[in-house]
Amino acid sequence: MTTPCEVHASGAIELYFYDELTPREREAVESHVLSCGHCRTVLAELGVIRDALAQRPVVSGPASGDWSRFMAQLDASIAGERLPARNIVEFARASRRTYVSYVAMAALLTLVTLSVAIAIRSRAVPAPAVTGNVAARAAREPTDTAAFTALSEEHFERSKLVVLGLATKDPQRGAADWRYERELATSLLNDTRMYRLAAEDRGLTSLAGVMRDLELVLLQTSLTDDKDPASLPQLQRLIQKRDLLEKMDVVTTTTGL
Amino acid sequence: MSADTDLISRAAGGDPSAFQALVERHRSMVYRVAYQFAGNHHDAEDIAQDVFIKVYRSLDRFRQDAQLTSWMYRIVMNACIDHRRRQRPALAAPFGDEAEHRMLNTPEDTPGPEERAYAGELGQVLEGEIGRLPSGQRVVFLMRHHRGMKLCEIADALGLAEGTVKRQLHAAVHRLRQALTQANVTAGERA
Repeated sequence: MTTPCEVHASGAIELYFYDELTPREREAVESHVLSCGHCRTVLAELGVIRDALAQRPVVSGPASGDWSRFMAQLDASIAGERLPARNIVEFARASRRTYVSYVAMAALLTLVTLSVAIAIRSRAVPAPAVTGNVAARAAREPTDTAAFTALSEEHFERSKLVVLGLATKDPQRGAADWRYERELATSLLNDTRMYRLAAEDRGLTSLAGVMRDLELVLLQTSLTDDKDPASLPQLQRLIQKRDLLEKMDVVTTTTGL
Repeated sequence: MSADTDLISRAAGGDPSAFQALVERHRSMVYRVAYQFAGNHHDAEDIAQDVFIKVYRSLDRFRQDAQLTSWMYRIVMNACIDHRRRQRPALAAPFGDEAEHRMLNTPEDTPGPEERAYAGELGQVLEGEIGRLPSGQRVVFLMRHHRGMKLCEIADALGLAEGTVKRQLHAAVHRLRQALTQANVTAGERA
């Protein structure tokens, strides 16, 4: 359907309807509408849509009105989840318990030792198990981080198909030419978000930053209307502005993989 | 410290009753948005479950100075988009194809009284077309209509450029108007 009015084609009528214009822009649209039958019709139809949507039923809960099944299902789903913060609290509690038991044992040992030979000085209480845990974690982390960065690199390689593909497309060739990239972006988005969060958790700030930029490009690609001729150039500008291809290369190179 | 912030802080510390209270405070809002997006109870429940699981996983990342409702709304919208992606076969045709049309317009087994009351001609046309809107357009349209969010707020919440949001909204409204015209449902006939 072609639009016979440039003001409407610019989106100004919707913006007027949604009260998104400045007073001066509003005045201009109001004066235009007086002389444009098409825009008057558009405004009337927008009013019809708004009124109809206002009658749309508001459904705020399960059909039965009973939340118990929902809550039980949610409880079951999160039962196996382990919150980092919760782990810290539980770890701290466990450590405190271990520490208390060591202190008690040490006190008893000291009393026995004193009773047998006062000259023998008691030594420091053995380090609590916490030290072992920390050491084990420290020993595990390099491998874990290396494996994670290797996986991230594989993810970058897959994502480059999208980023490189979009960056080199000819905007004149139409929507079908970049449909593959759009679909691939959609399928990669969740994993990218996961990698970004994991990188943040590990303190890998450079990697997390590039994942964030990649996530933004993938999100825009998957949300953008591929029939809109302005979409592809806009995505290309975003990739260029974020310097994404170079960043992806730099990160994979500097991680040493 | 607000009630929500306190609940989040306690829930992040491992207090299950605090998390339950948080869910109870916000489940209606989450369900309402999910239902508006999905149009049926089955998917709305799935989306709402996903939302609260994501909230649970992200409790320790919530910034104390942020607005909980905005944060949660963003999670809801992302969950809506994710849910729709999962419903599509891997790398299937883009939104708006025939298969998705059928999927989105499959009637519920037992429509409630509210749905039946709304099932007038205009409601049916609009509902069908909203169901056919591409995911991005639908999210933007719902955020504008049901939350009354400004374009800049939508852009901020979704991490998109304001121009993109404007184009998505324009395209969504254009499609809905086109559907009304094709169905011959006009302002005059509505009454």
